[in-house]
Amino acid sequence: MSSHALATPPSRLDVAGDLLTLLRDTSTEPRPDVQLEALTLAVAADLPVLLWGEPGIGKTAALNQLAASLDLPLTTVIASVHEPSDFSGLPVVGDDPAEQGVPMAPPDWAVRLVRAGRGLLFLDELSTAPPAVQAALLRLVLERRIGALRLPPGVRIVAAANPRASAADGWELSPPLANRFVHLSWTHDPEVVVRGLGGTWPRATLPRLDPDRLTAAVEFARRAVCAFLTARPPLVHRLPSSETRRGGPWPSPRSWDMTLTLIAFATAAGSDRDVLSLLVRGTVGDGPGLELLASLDRLDLPDPELLLADPAGAELPQRGDLRQAVLDAVVAAVRARPERSRWDAAWALLAHAADTGAPDLVVVPATTLATLRREEWDVPPTIERLTSAVALSRRADHAAARVTAGR
Amino acid sequence: MTTHPPETPAAPAPAPAPALDLDKLLTARLQAARARPYLATALFALHPVESRRVPTMAVDRHWRCYVSPAFVAATPEEELAGVWVHEVSHLLRDHHGRGDRVARERGLHGAGERLRMNIAADCEINDDIYGDGLARPGDVVLPSTLGLTAGELMEDYLRQFTLGPYTRGMVWLDCGSGADGLERDWDLGPDGAHGLSEQERDAVRFRVAQGIRARPGDAPQGWRRWAEEAFHPPQPWRELLGAALRTAVSGSGAGDDYTYGRPARRSAGVPGAVLPSLRRTPPRVSVVIDTSGSVSDAELGSALLEVTAISRAVGGRRDMVSVVSCDAAAGRVHRLCRGEGIPLTGGGGTDLRSGFAKALGSRPRPDVVVVLTDGQTPWPDSRPSCRTVVGLFPRVGASWDEDDPDYVPDTPPDWARVVTIGAEPGAR
Repeated sequence: MSSHALATPPSRLDVAGDLLTLLRDTSTEPRPDVQLEALTLAVAADLPVLLWGEPGIGKTAALNQLAASLDLPLTTVIASVHEPSDFSGLPVVGDDPAEQGVPMAPPDWAVRLVRAGRGLLFLDELSTAPPAVQAALLRLVLERRIGALRLPPGVRIVAAANPRASAADGWELSPPLANRFVHLSWTHDPEVVVRGLGGTWPRATLPRLDPDRLTAAVEFARRAVCAFLTARPPLVHRLPSSETRRGGPWPSPRSWDMTLTLIAFATAAGSDRDVLSLLVRGTVGDGPGLELLASLDRLDLPDPELLLADPAGAELPQRGDLRQAVLDAVVAAVRARPERSRWDAAWALLAHAADTGAPDLVVVPATTLATLRREEWDVPPTIERLTSAVALSRRADHAAARVTAGR
Repeated sequence: MTTHPPETPAAPAPAPAPALDLDKLLTARLQAARARPYLATALFALHPVESRRVPTMAVDRHWRCYVSPAFVAATPEEELAGVWVHEVSHLLRDHHGRGDRVARERGLHGAGERLRMNIAADCEINDDIYGDGLARPGDVVLPSTLGLTAGELMEDYLRQFTLGPYTRGMVWLDCGSGADGLERDWDLGPDGAHGLSEQERDAVRFRVAQGIRARPGDAPQGWRRWAEEAFHPPQPWRELLGAALRTAVSGSGAGDDYTYGRPARRSAGVPGAVLPSLRRTPPRVSVVIDTSGSVSDAELGSALLEVTAISRAVGGRRDMVSVVSCDAAAGRVHRLCRGEGIPLTGGGGTDLRSGFAKALGSRPRPDVVVVLTDGQTPWPDSRPSCRTVVGLFPRVGASWDEDDPDYVPDTPPDWARVVTIGAEPGAR
């Protein structure tokens, strides 16, 4: 930069180079990135990922970051400028084809990938390639074969496609194909882009799998998926019925297996629920995914039997709806096995709940619990502590009566 | 400042007067939950926060509910219950997210536009949440206050009024960032205590929607519609028709694809091998139009325009699109390049089988047949030899035959991809 400070005027290109250096001088700041975290986990789990995103929103930049964090060399292949034979192999005729056959020669990038034994292969613009190219590519993604070569296990593959609404010469996944992918829709955050153009790009801290949690993670994932599918057997396999949901994720034994893997990976990495939500909904679809997540929330809630065993030391969730779900579960547990001691313990727990949180949450469980009383059971003294809740309930009754009277 | 004593069982520190009457507020929440059991999960998930800067009650997108102590003191419990339901409705119906989307799409910026969004959102909510156990406060904004019809969506209301004399009384109206997406200075933000993460918000909304769908009898029509569409918003038919048509024409035999019919330019590099080359076969689209009396010209016109636009976008030329009008018998096949006047003859009953036969019998044969119909017709018994897309104009209760009251028209067969064409759905 300073060499041309001497007498000779700098050449025009040198000045342009200086300007470019200044423009490229940007810094990074740590910022949580849910999308990138989800992508990292899916790639680490070696599942085929399909990124849906408009062109030019930083998919390649994200892949660069991902490759750096996984310590893999990145190979980008733009699908739409290739011919099918680039992926299925170019036939090379030898001396005696009838005797030796015609080998299908792989392209150079594939050879290099196989020789390196590891790498991140990014297949961009899948949806704008002609159908024959797409067919060849899907074989590559799903069977990991290029001509005569087989990609080693150290190679991870990510594909990207434009959403069907914006794809000019469009293409749509058939339901069986869609079912093999983890679908992640890639969006940009305007705030991040503005800040990045101002000189500071985000740097996501990517998840790391904790070696000590692997066994527990697998156990948790199996329990979560099995408990859910036991309760909702119709969701084990459900083909998308409407035009809207074709070509997207849908539940099948295959995609549930992928979900199980992803839950285990997210658990081992200690990722939060937002990441898991993207992954699960991208694998089995929004409806079944949300149901599974709701069932995970319930798995996290304290066990009613443990609460009944020690009502005084119970730790109830702070969030009102979860707290009410727990109290309802406790009352349901008493109803399932009505015994005097359990009934008393439930009252103690309700009193504890009324002392530590909003009293209106206690009213409905208390009313239900009161109906479970047997004749020979005396009302426990702990019920005194519920007077605030009872008063609240009465006031609400009066208010409701006023509404009815006012009509 | 939060009003729930989170971990301390002891009484909260004495606040300066007028203190928030938390019991009254929670009584109202209980009454609201009793009157609308299907909203109980959402009501209990809201975290009340005392705030002296909000005029009445307001929500943020993280499911906190800011409450003015003075407002609670001045309002009877039964009206407070209505306000609870009102505020939680903003969050359930994702008014902040929809407000942001509308602001981006239509370029609406500034406090005035956000106030309009708040008013429009209130109109959407208020026309169907009160009554049946919930008292309606006297001064709520109703569509009729603005001279508009009830039962529409926020996005639609937003087009129909401006700030003016009608809305002068509403400038104090403020349901917070949860209602219109604009951050307020009292908001605790994403990092504040007791906020719900995006996944938790979705989970609460999903559970409420599931509850309504499981027991649809309890909920009014507006909520049932919301529950149906909360997580599967209907897509605009143009996009769906485009996708169906694109898939149909990008199949084998049409569009850009490889063919062994001519040698590839690469063949020189690989002597002795035969490589496929890229050839374009533009898709031929044949449109069969149901011209029976039951389909309006405006509907047909817009659907036909759409088909032409899409087939041109996928590489077809005008002369590749042909049109057959069909009622009980099929008319002639017209090429679209002949242009302006394609006579859409007909008007009686429909039998699309003759339309199919005509379209498939024309030379050159079409790659795709698009049928625009209201479905009140018999369909061919067997699958035609090319891909079929059906654009269906929905008819509710129109299938009644005076000679045969039990007549039920056939639904389109499963070999066709069916796209329902109708009004653009709102984005609930």
